[in-house]
Amino acid sequence: MTGAQAMIDEEALAWVIRTRDPEFTDWENFTLWLEADPARASAYDALMAADADLPGILPADPVTLPIPANDPGERRWRPMRWVGSSALAAALVAAISIGTLRRTDIYTVATRPGETRSIALEDGTRIDVNGGTTLRLDRNNSRFAALDSGEAAFTVRHDAHDPFRVTVGDALFEDAGTVFNIVRTATATRIGVSEGKVIYNPQAEAIALPAGRALTQDASGVRVMTISPDAVASWRQGRLSYANAPVDQISGDIARSLGVRLTATPGAAAMRFTGTIRLEDHPARFFATAAPLMGLSAVRQGDGWLLKEGDGAPR
Amino acid sequence: MATGLSAIFLNNRPALLRFLRARGAGADAEDMVQDLWMKLEAKDIGPVAEPLPYLYRMANNLMLDRYRAATRRERREQDWAVGAGGVMADPSQDIAIDQRLILNERLEQAQAVLRDLGPRVELAFRRFRIEGVGQRLIADELGVSLTTVEKDLQKAYHALLALKQRLDTE
Repeated sequence: MTGAQAMIDEEALAWVIRTRDPEFTDWENFTLWLEADPARASAYDALMAADADLPGILPADPVTLPIPANDPGERRWRPMRWVGSSALAAALVAAISIGTLRRTDIYTVATRPGETRSIALEDGTRIDVNGGTTLRLDRNNSRFAALDSGEAAFTVRHDAHDPFRVTVGDALFEDAGTVFNIVRTATATRIGVSEGKVIYNPQAEAIALPAGRALTQDASGVRVMTISPDAVASWRQGRLSYANAPVDQISGDIARSLGVRLTATPGAAAMRFTGTIRLEDHPARFFATAAPLMGLSAVRQGDGWLLKEGDGAPR
Repeated sequence: MATGLSAIFLNNRPALLRFLRARGAGADAEDMVQDLWMKLEAKDIGPVAEPLPYLYRMANNLMLDRYRAATRRERREQDWAVGAGGVMADPSQDIAIDQRLILNERLEQAQAVLRDLGPRVELAFRRFRIEGVGQRLIADELGVSLTTVEKDLQKAYHALLALKQRLDTE
Protein backbone atom coordinates (compact mmCIF):
# COMPACT_ATOMS: atom_id res chain seq x y z
CA MET A 1 0.00 0.00 0.00
CA THR A 2 1.36 3.41 -0.90
CA GLY A 3 1.74 6.13 1.68
CA ALA A 4 -0.93 8.24 0.01
CA GLN A 5 -3.45 5.37 0.10
CA ALA A 6 -2.63 4.68 3.75
CA MET A 7 -3.29 8.33 4.49
CA ILE A 8 -6.65 8.22 2.70
CA ASP A 9 -7.60 5.05 4.59
CA GLU A 10 -6.67 6.63 7.88
CA GLU A 11 -8.85 9.67 7.19
CA ALA A 12 -11.64 7.51 5.81
CA LEU A 13 -11.66 5.47 9.03
CA ALA A 14 -12.03 8.65 11.06
CA TRP A 15 -15.05 9.54 8.88
CA VAL A 16 -16.49 6.04 9.28
CA ILE A 17 -16.41 6.51 13.05
CA ARG A 18 -17.79 10.04 12.82
CA THR A 19 -20.66 9.23 10.45
CA ARG A 20 -21.55 6.09 12.41
CA ASP A 21 -22.19 8.25 15.46
CA PRO A 22 -25.95 8.71 15.89
CA GLU A 23 -25.33 12.37 16.70
CA PHE A 24 -23.26 13.12 13.59
CA THR A 25 -24.47 16.23 11.73
CA ASP A 26 -21.41 17.59 9.91
CA TRP A 27 -22.33 16.31 6.44
CA GLU A 28 -21.15 19.50 4.75
CA ASN A 29 -17.56 18.96 5.87
CA PHE A 30 -17.80 15.30 4.95
CA THR A 31 -18.89 16.40 1.44
CA LEU A 32 -15.89 18.74 1.21
CA TRP A 33 -13.52 15.98 2.25
CA LEU A 34 -15.00 13.59 -0.33
CA GLU A 35 -14.90 16.12 -3.15
CA ALA A 36 -11.14 16.67 -2.85
CA ASP A 37 -10.30 13.22 -4.20
CA PRO A 38 -12.55 10.52 -5.78
CA ALA A 39 -10.39 7.82 -4.13
CA ARG A 40 -11.74 8.98 -0.77
CA ALA A 41 -15.31 7.84 -1.48
CA SER A 42 -14.04 4.38 -2.48
CA ALA A 43 -11.93 4.09 0.66
CA TYR A 44 -14.91 5.15 2.78
CA ASP A 45 -17.20 2.62 1.05
CA ALA A 46 -14.71 -0.21 1.55
CA LEU A 47 -14.26 0.60 5.23
CA MET A 48 -18.00 0.98 5.82
CA ALA A 49 -18.49 -2.46 4.23
CA ALA A 50 -15.76 -3.91 6.48
CA ASP A 51 -17.43 -2.23 9.45
CA ALA A 52 -20.76 -3.79 8.50
CA ASP A 53 -19.10 -7.23 8.58
CA LEU A 54 -17.57 -6.73 12.03
CA PRO A 55 -20.52 -8.13 14.03
CA GLY A 56 -19.81 -11.47 12.32
CA ILE A 57 -16.50 -11.78 14.10
CA LEU A 58 -17.36 -9.97 17.32
CA PRO A 59 -18.08 -11.92 20.47
CA ALA A 60 -21.66 -11.52 21.60
CA ASP A 61 -22.56 -8.43 23.52
CA PRO A 62 -21.96 -9.18 27.19
CA VAL A 63 -25.16 -7.39 28.11
CA THR A 64 -27.41 -9.67 26.11
CA LEU A 65 -25.32 -12.81 26.44
CA PRO A 66 -27.38 -15.29 28.44
CA ILE A 67 -25.27 -17.11 31.00
CA PRO A 68 -26.59 -20.51 31.96
CA ALA A 69 -26.74 -20.43 35.74
CA ASN A 70 -25.72 -24.03 36.11
CA ASP A 71 -23.07 -24.14 33.42
CA PRO A 72 -19.72 -24.79 35.01
CA GLY A 73 -18.06 -24.85 31.59
CA GLU A 74 -16.03 -22.11 30.07
CA ARG A 75 -17.85 -18.85 29.53
CA ARG A 76 -17.40 -17.06 26.27
CA TRP A 77 -16.85 -13.83 28.11
CA ARG A 78 -14.29 -14.30 30.80
CA PRO A 79 -14.68 -12.20 33.91
CA MET A 80 -11.10 -13.10 34.77
CA ARG A 81 -9.51 -10.10 33.23
CA TRP A 82 -11.63 -7.75 35.28
CA VAL A 83 -10.62 -9.75 38.27
CA GLY A 84 -7.03 -9.60 37.09
CA SER A 85 -6.90 -5.86 36.82
CA SER A 86 -8.90 -5.20 39.93
CA ALA A 87 -6.82 -7.70 41.90
CA LEU A 88 -3.88 -5.59 40.84
CA ALA A 89 -5.75 -2.53 42.08
CA ALA A 90 -6.43 -4.25 45.36
CA ALA A 91 -2.75 -5.15 45.64
CA LEU A 92 -1.80 -1.53 45.03
CA VAL A 93 -4.22 -0.33 47.67
CA ALA A 94 -2.81 -2.91 50.08
CA ALA A 95 0.66 -1.60 49.37
CA ILE A 96 -0.48 1.94 50.08
CA SER A 97 -2.11 0.89 53.33
CA ILE A 98 1.06 -0.86 54.46
CA GLY A 99 3.00 2.20 53.44
CA THR A 100 1.04 4.39 55.83
CA LEU A 101 1.58 1.80 58.56
CA ARG A 102 -2.02 1.45 59.57
CA ARG A 103 -2.64 -1.66 61.58
CA THR A 104 -5.94 -3.20 60.69
CA ASP A 105 -8.50 -4.30 63.23
CA ILE A 106 -11.32 -5.75 61.21
CA TYR A 107 -14.78 -6.45 62.62
CA THR A 108 -17.91 -7.75 60.94
CA VAL A 109 -21.37 -6.23 60.87
CA ALA A 110 -24.18 -8.54 59.80
CA THR A 111 -27.93 -7.99 59.48
CA ARG A 112 -30.68 -10.59 59.22
CA PRO A 113 -33.04 -10.41 56.23
CA GLY A 114 -35.60 -7.68 56.89
CA GLU A 115 -33.39 -5.99 59.52
CA THR A 116 -31.72 -2.67 58.78
CA ARG A 117 -28.98 -0.85 60.67
CA SER A 118 -27.32 2.51 60.52
CA ILE A 119 -23.65 2.76 61.40
CA ALA A 120 -21.91 6.06 62.12
CA LEU A 121 -18.17 5.96 61.57
CA GLU A 122 -15.69 8.13 63.45
CA ASP A 123 -14.95 10.30 60.43
CA GLY A 124 -18.60 11.32 60.03
CA THR A 125 -19.41 8.77 57.35
CA ARG A 126 -22.74 6.96 57.71
CA ILE A 127 -23.45 3.48 56.40
CA ASP A 128 -27.07 2.33 56.15
CA VAL A 129 -27.08 -1.44 56.04
CA ASN A 130 -30.04 -3.22 54.44
CA GLY A 131 -31.26 -6.67 55.49
CA GLY A 132 -29.30 -9.85 54.79
CA THR A 133 -25.98 -8.05 54.58
CA THR A 134 -22.45 -8.78 55.74
CA LEU A 135 -20.03 -5.90 55.95
CA ARG A 136 -16.49 -5.72 57.29
CA LEU A 137 -15.10 -2.54 58.83
CA ASP A 138 -11.77 -1.57 60.34
CA ARG A 139 -11.59 -0.04 63.83
CA ASN A 140 -8.26 1.56 63.00
CA ASN A 141 -9.26 2.87 59.58
CA SER A 142 -12.64 4.54 59.27
CA ARG A 143 -12.01 5.09 55.53
CA PHE A 144 -12.44 1.44 54.65
CA ALA A 145 -15.36 -0.97 54.23
CA ALA A 146 -15.71 -4.36 52.56
CA LEU A 147 -19.16 -5.42 51.42
CA ASP A 148 -19.16 -9.22 51.37
CA SER A 149 -22.83 -9.71 50.56
CA GLY A 150 -26.10 -7.80 50.59
CA GLU A 151 -26.71 -4.08 50.27
CA ALA A 152 -25.47 -0.90 51.92
CA ALA A 153 -25.81 2.83 51.29
CA PHE A 154 -22.77 5.00 52.00
CA THR A 155 -23.00 8.69 52.88
CA VAL A 156 -19.35 9.59 52.87
CA ARG A 157 -17.61 12.59 54.38
CA HIS A 158 -15.26 13.42 51.57
CA ASP A 159 -11.54 13.90 52.10
CA ALA A 160 -9.57 14.28 48.88
CA HIS A 161 -6.35 13.26 50.64
CA ASP A 162 -7.84 10.17 52.18
CA PRO A 163 -10.63 8.81 49.99
CA PHE A 164 -13.15 6.40 51.40
CA ARG A 165 -12.73 2.97 49.81
CA VAL A 166 -15.19 0.11 49.57
CA THR A 167 -14.00 -3.24 48.33
CA VAL A 168 -16.60 -5.62 46.92
CA GLY A 169 -14.99 -8.92 46.05
CA ASP A 170 -12.21 -7.96 43.69
CA ALA A 171 -13.68 -4.61 42.75
CA LEU A 172 -12.76 -1.39 44.47
CA PHE A 173 -14.90 1.74 44.68
CA GLU A 174 -13.33 4.98 45.76
CA ASP A 175 -15.42 7.98 46.73
CA ALA A 176 -14.97 11.49 45.44
CA GLY A 177 -17.49 13.20 47.76
CA THR A 178 -20.41 10.97 47.72
CA VAL A 179 -23.64 9.22 48.54
CA PHE A 180 -23.82 5.81 46.92
CA ASN A 181 -25.45 2.41 47.29
CA ILE A 182 -23.81 -0.96 46.64
CA VAL A 183 -25.47 -4.35 46.25
CA ARG A 184 -23.53 -7.58 46.12
CA THR A 185 -25.30 -10.80 45.19
CA ALA A 186 -23.80 -14.19 44.45
CA THR A 187 -23.46 -13.29 40.78
CA ALA A 188 -23.26 -9.52 40.47
CA THR A 189 -22.14 -6.27 42.03
CA ARG A 190 -24.22 -3.15 41.42
CA ILE A 191 -23.48 0.39 42.48
CA GLY A 192 -25.68 3.46 42.11
CA VAL A 193 -24.44 6.99 42.82
CA SER A 194 -26.88 9.65 44.05
CA GLU A 195 -24.47 12.47 44.98
CA GLY A 196 -20.89 13.35 44.13
CA LYS A 197 -18.78 10.80 42.35
CA VAL A 198 -17.32 7.34 42.78
CA ILE A 199 -14.33 5.90 40.93
CA TYR A 200 -14.53 2.24 40.03
CA ASN A 201 -11.17 0.45 40.30
CA PRO A 202 -9.10 3.66 40.36
CA GLN A 203 -5.83 1.86 39.59
CA ALA A 204 -7.19 -0.10 36.64
CA GLU A 205 -10.30 0.80 34.64
CA ALA A 206 -10.72 4.04 36.58
CA ILE A 207 -14.32 4.51 35.48
CA ALA A 208 -15.79 7.68 36.97
CA LEU A 209 -19.39 7.34 38.15
CA PRO A 210 -20.98 10.75 38.74
CA ALA A 211 -24.36 11.20 40.41
CA GLY A 212 -27.09 9.56 38.36
CA ARG A 213 -24.81 6.81 37.09
CA ALA A 214 -24.84 3.15 37.98
CA LEU A 215 -22.46 0.31 37.26
CA THR A 216 -23.07 -3.43 37.16
CA GLN A 217 -20.31 -6.00 37.23
CA ASP A 218 -21.15 -9.64 36.67
CA ALA A 219 -19.85 -12.65 34.80
CA SER A 220 -20.66 -10.98 31.51
CA GLY A 221 -18.46 -7.96 32.22
CA VAL A 222 -18.91 -4.39 33.36
CA ARG A 223 -21.75 -2.17 32.28
CA VAL A 224 -22.41 1.49 33.00
CA MET A 225 -25.94 2.93 32.88
CA THR A 226 -28.02 5.90 33.88
CA ILE A 227 -30.10 5.85 37.05
CA SER A 228 -32.32 8.38 38.76
CA PRO A 229 -30.40 9.78 41.77
CA ASP A 230 -33.65 9.56 43.78
CA ALA A 231 -33.83 5.85 43.12
CA VAL A 232 -30.42 5.20 44.72
CA ALA A 233 -30.83 3.56 48.13
CA SER A 234 -34.56 4.33 48.07
CA TRP A 235 -35.03 1.29 50.33
CA ARG A 236 -34.11 3.64 53.18
CA GLN A 237 -37.33 5.55 52.50
CA GLY A 238 -39.36 2.35 52.35
CA ARG A 239 -39.58 2.13 48.58
CA LEU A 240 -37.75 0.52 45.70
CA SER A 241 -37.41 2.46 42.43
CA TYR A 242 -36.39 1.00 39.10
CA ALA A 243 -35.87 1.95 35.49
CA ASN A 244 -36.07 -1.08 33.22
CA ALA A 245 -34.61 -3.41 35.84
CA PRO A 246 -34.88 -7.20 35.49
CA VAL A 247 -37.35 -8.82 37.91
CA ASP A 248 -34.55 -11.19 38.85
CA GLN A 249 -32.71 -8.27 40.45
CA ILE A 250 -35.87 -6.76 41.95
CA SER A 251 -36.86 -10.01 43.64
CA GLY A 252 -33.43 -10.08 45.33
CA ASP A 253 -33.99 -6.54 46.60
CA ILE A 254 -37.48 -7.40 47.87
CA ALA A 255 -36.25 -10.50 49.67
CA ARG A 256 -33.50 -8.49 51.38
CA SER A 257 -35.77 -5.63 52.37
CA LEU A 258 -38.76 -7.69 53.48
CA GLY A 259 -36.93 -10.61 55.01
CA VAL A 260 -38.81 -13.23 53.01
CA ARG A 261 -37.63 -16.07 50.85
CA LEU A 262 -38.56 -15.13 47.30
CA THR A 263 -38.08 -16.94 44.03
CA ALA A 264 -39.23 -16.08 40.51
CA THR A 265 -40.10 -18.41 37.65
CA PRO A 266 -37.56 -18.10 34.79
CA GLY A 267 -40.16 -16.27 32.69
CA ALA A 268 -40.94 -13.80 35.46
CA ALA A 269 -37.25 -13.33 36.33
CA ALA A 270 -36.47 -12.30 32.76
CA MET A 271 -39.17 -9.59 32.70
CA ARG A 272 -38.33 -5.95 33.28
CA PHE A 273 -39.99 -3.31 35.39
CA THR A 274 -39.95 0.47 35.55
CA GLY A 275 -41.53 2.20 38.52
CA THR A 276 -41.62 2.45 42.30
CA ILE A 277 -42.71 -0.24 44.70
CA ARG A 278 -43.70 0.76 48.23
CA LEU A 279 -42.30 -1.57 50.87
CA GLU A 280 -44.64 -2.91 53.51
CA ASP A 281 -44.03 -5.10 56.56
CA HIS A 282 -46.86 -7.50 55.84
CA PRO A 283 -45.74 -9.75 52.95
CA ALA A 284 -49.23 -10.77 51.81
CA ARG A 285 -50.35 -7.13 51.64
CA PHE A 286 -47.09 -6.13 49.98
CA PHE A 287 -47.33 -8.72 47.21
CA ALA A 288 -51.03 -8.01 46.65
CA THR A 289 -50.08 -4.55 45.35
CA ALA A 290 -46.47 -5.05 44.23
CA ALA A 291 -46.89 -8.11 42.02
CA PRO A 292 -49.65 -6.69 39.77
CA LEU A 293 -47.60 -3.51 39.51
CA MET A 294 -44.86 -5.56 37.85
CA GLY A 295 -47.38 -7.39 35.68
CA LEU A 296 -46.83 -10.54 37.74
CA SER A 297 -48.62 -12.52 40.38
CA ALA A 298 -47.23 -13.79 43.67
CA VAL A 299 -48.17 -17.01 45.42
CA ARG A 300 -47.11 -18.44 48.75
CA GLN A 301 -44.77 -21.37 48.31
CA GLY A 302 -43.66 -23.30 51.39
CA ASP A 303 -42.04 -20.81 53.75
CA GLY A 304 -41.51 -18.27 50.98
CA TRP A 305 -43.08 -16.64 47.98
CA LEU A 306 -43.01 -17.26 44.23
CA LEU A 307 -43.30 -14.58 41.54
CA LYS A 308 -44.79 -15.83 38.31
CA GLU A 309 -46.05 -14.44 35.05
CA GLY A 310 -49.61 -13.49 34.33
CA ASP A 311 -52.74 -12.33 36.16
CA GLY A 312 -51.17 -8.93 36.44
CA ALA A 313 -52.55 -5.67 35.20
CA PRO A 314 -51.20 -4.71 31.79
CA ARG A 315 -48.29 -2.31 31.97
CA MET B 1 -47.87 15.77 0.78
CA ALA B 2 -45.72 18.66 1.83
CA THR B 3 -44.49 17.64 5.25
CA GLY B 4 -41.64 19.42 6.97
CA LEU B 5 -39.16 16.82 5.77
CA SER B 6 -40.25 17.20 2.13
CA ALA B 7 -39.93 20.97 2.35
CA ILE B 8 -36.44 20.62 3.77
CA PHE B 9 -35.59 18.16 1.02
CA LEU B 10 -36.66 20.65 -1.66
CA ASN B 11 -34.67 23.45 -0.06
CA ASN B 12 -31.55 21.31 0.18
CA ARG B 13 -31.85 19.33 -3.03
CA PRO B 14 -28.68 20.92 -4.54
CA ALA B 15 -26.64 20.15 -1.41
CA LEU B 16 -27.83 16.53 -1.38
CA LEU B 17 -27.05 16.20 -5.07
CA ARG B 18 -23.60 17.57 -4.45
CA PHE B 19 -23.12 15.10 -1.61
CA LEU B 20 -24.17 12.12 -3.75
CA ARG B 21 -21.77 13.22 -6.50
CA ALA B 22 -18.94 13.51 -3.98
CA ARG B 23 -19.91 10.07 -2.63
CA GLY B 24 -19.23 8.66 -6.11
CA ALA B 25 -22.73 8.40 -7.57
CA GLY B 26 -21.49 10.00 -10.80
CA ALA B 27 -24.11 10.20 -13.53
CA ASP B 28 -26.62 8.40 -11.30
CA ALA B 29 -26.69 11.20 -8.72
CA GLU B 30 -29.83 12.80 -10.21
CA ASP B 31 -31.65 9.47 -10.24
CA MET B 32 -30.65 8.80 -6.67
CA VAL B 33 -31.94 12.16 -5.46
CA GLN B 34 -35.19 11.28 -7.18
CA ASP B 35 -35.11 7.92 -5.42
CA LEU B 36 -34.70 9.69 -2.11
CA TRP B 37 -37.68 11.91 -2.87
CA MET B 38 -39.85 8.90 -3.75
CA LYS B 39 -38.85 7.23 -0.49
CA LEU B 40 -39.83 10.35 1.44
CA GLU B 41 -43.18 10.55 -0.31
CA ALA B 42 -43.94 6.84 0.05
CA LYS B 43 -43.23 6.61 3.75
CA ASP B 44 -45.00 8.75 6.25
CA ILE B 45 -41.95 9.55 8.32
CA GLY B 46 -42.89 11.15 11.59
CA PRO B 47 -41.27 14.28 12.97
CA VAL B 48 -37.48 14.08 12.86
CA ALA B 49 -35.32 15.91 15.37
CA GLU B 50 -32.62 16.90 12.89
CA PRO B 51 -34.23 16.75 9.45
CA LEU B 52 -31.27 17.72 7.26
CA PRO B 53 -28.77 15.30 8.82
CA TYR B 54 -31.52 12.70 8.53
CA LEU B 55 -31.77 13.29 4.77
CA TYR B 56 -27.99 13.13 4.39
CA ARG B 57 -27.96 9.86 6.28
CA MET B 58 -30.64 8.44 3.96
CA ALA B 59 -28.53 9.49 0.97
CA ASN B 60 -25.43 7.94 2.49
CA ASN B 61 -27.31 4.70 3.13
CA LEU B 62 -28.41 4.61 -0.51
CA MET B 63 -24.76 4.78 -1.53
CA LEU B 64 -23.77 2.07 0.95
CA ASP B 65 -26.53 -0.21 -0.39
CA ARG B 66 -25.30 0.43 -3.91
CA TYR B 67 -21.73 -0.46 -2.97
CA ARG B 68 -22.85 -3.62 -1.22
CA ALA B 69 -24.98 -4.72 -4.18
CA ALA B 70 -22.07 -4.12 -6.56
CA THR B 71 -19.56 -6.12 -4.49
CA ARG B 72 -22.06 -8.93 -4.05
CA ARG B 73 -22.62 -9.06 -7.81
CA GLU B 74 -18.87 -9.11 -8.37
CA ARG B 75 -18.37 -11.94 -5.93
CA ARG B 76 -21.18 -13.94 -7.52
CA GLU B 77 -19.69 -13.51 -10.95
CA GLN B 78 -16.34 -14.67 -9.64
CA ASP B 79 -17.97 -17.70 -8.08
CA TRP B 80 -19.66 -18.56 -11.38
CA ALA B 81 -16.36 -18.16 -13.17
CA VAL B 82 -14.64 -20.75 -11.00
CA GLY B 83 -17.63 -23.04 -11.26
CA ALA B 84 -18.56 -22.79 -7.62
CA GLY B 85 -21.92 -21.20 -8.34
CA GLY B 86 -25.25 -22.91 -8.47
CA VAL B 87 -27.62 -22.85 -5.56
CA MET B 88 -26.36 -20.62 -2.81
CA ALA B 89 -27.02 -22.09 0.59
CA ASP B 90 -28.55 -19.87 3.20
CA PRO B 91 -25.59 -19.14 5.47
CA SER B 92 -27.79 -19.02 8.54
CA GLN B 93 -28.99 -22.57 7.98
CA ASP B 94 -27.22 -25.59 9.23
CA ILE B 95 -23.66 -24.47 9.65
CA ALA B 96 -21.35 -27.45 9.38
CA ILE B 97 -19.43 -28.37 12.51
CA ASP B 98 -16.02 -27.49 11.10
CA GLN B 99 -17.40 -24.09 10.08
CA ARG B 100 -18.77 -23.63 13.55
CA LEU B 101 -15.32 -24.34 14.96
CA ILE B 102 -13.82 -21.76 12.65
CA LEU B 103 -16.48 -19.29 13.74
CA ASN B 104 -15.73 -19.95 17.40
CA GLU B 105 -12.05 -19.57 16.78
CA ARG B 106 -12.70 -16.23 15.10
CA LEU B 107 -14.79 -15.03 18.02
CA GLU B 108 -12.02 -15.99 20.38
CA GLN B 109 -9.45 -14.14 18.31
CA ALA B 110 -11.62 -11.02 18.18
CA GLN B 111 -12.12 -11.29 21.92
CA ALA B 112 -8.36 -11.53 22.47
CA VAL B 113 -7.82 -8.49 20.24
CA LEU B 114 -10.34 -6.48 22.24
CA ARG B 115 -8.92 -7.70 25.52
CA ASP B 116 -5.42 -6.61 24.57
CA LEU B 117 -6.68 -3.09 23.97
CA GLY B 118 -7.71 -2.77 27.61
CA PRO B 119 -11.10 -2.53 29.31
CA ARG B 120 -11.78 1.14 28.57
CA VAL B 121 -11.20 0.78 24.83
CA GLU B 122 -13.30 -2.36 24.74
CA LEU B 123 -16.12 -0.80 26.74
CA ALA B 124 -16.13 2.28 24.50
CA PHE B 125 -16.10 0.17 21.34
CA ARG B 126 -18.92 -2.10 22.50
CA ARG B 127 -21.08 0.84 23.50
CA PHE B 128 -20.42 2.53 20.17
CA ARG B 129 -20.46 -0.29 17.65
CA ILE B 130 -22.80 -2.86 19.22
CA GLU B 131 -25.15 -0.73 21.28
CA GLY B 132 -25.09 2.28 18.96
CA VAL B 133 -24.39 4.83 21.68
CA GLY B 134 -22.92 8.19 20.64
CA GLN B 135 -19.36 9.19 21.50
CA ARG B 136 -20.41 12.16 23.63
CA LEU B 137 -22.49 9.97 25.93
CA ILE B 138 -19.72 7.35 26.12
CA ALA B 139 -17.23 10.06 27.11
CA ASP B 140 -19.65 11.16 29.86
CA GLU B 141 -20.13 7.62 31.08
CA LEU B 142 -16.44 6.84 31.25
CA GLY B 143 -15.53 10.25 32.64
CA VAL B 144 -13.02 10.88 29.85
CA SER B 145 -12.77 13.50 27.09
CA LEU B 146 -14.40 13.15 23.69
CA THR B 147 -10.93 13.02 22.11
CA THR B 148 -10.01 10.06 24.28
CA VAL B 149 -13.12 8.19 23.14
CA GLU B 150 -12.32 9.01 19.50
CA LYS B 151 -8.81 7.67 19.91
CA ASP B 152 -10.05 4.58 21.73
CA LEU B 153 -12.49 3.83 18.92
CA GLN B 154 -9.82 4.31 16.28
CA LYS B 155 -7.54 1.93 18.15
CA ALA B 156 -10.30 -0.68 18.37
CA TYR B 157 -11.22 -0.28 14.69
CA HIS B 158 -7.60 -0.56 13.58
CA ALA B 159 -7.08 -3.76 15.52
CA LEU B 160 -10.36 -5.37 14.48
CA LEU B 161 -10.10 -4.42 10.81
CA ALA B 162 -6.56 -5.83 10.75
CA LEU B 163 -7.89 -9.04 12.28
CA LYS B 164 -10.74 -9.17 9.76
CA GLN B 165 -8.31 -8.78 6.88
CA ARG B 166 -6.17 -11.59 8.28
CA LEU B 167 -9.23 -13.83 8.64
CA ASP B 168 -10.48 -13.01 5.15
CA THR B 169 -7.21 -13.93 3.50
CA GLU B 170 -6.75 -17.11 5.52
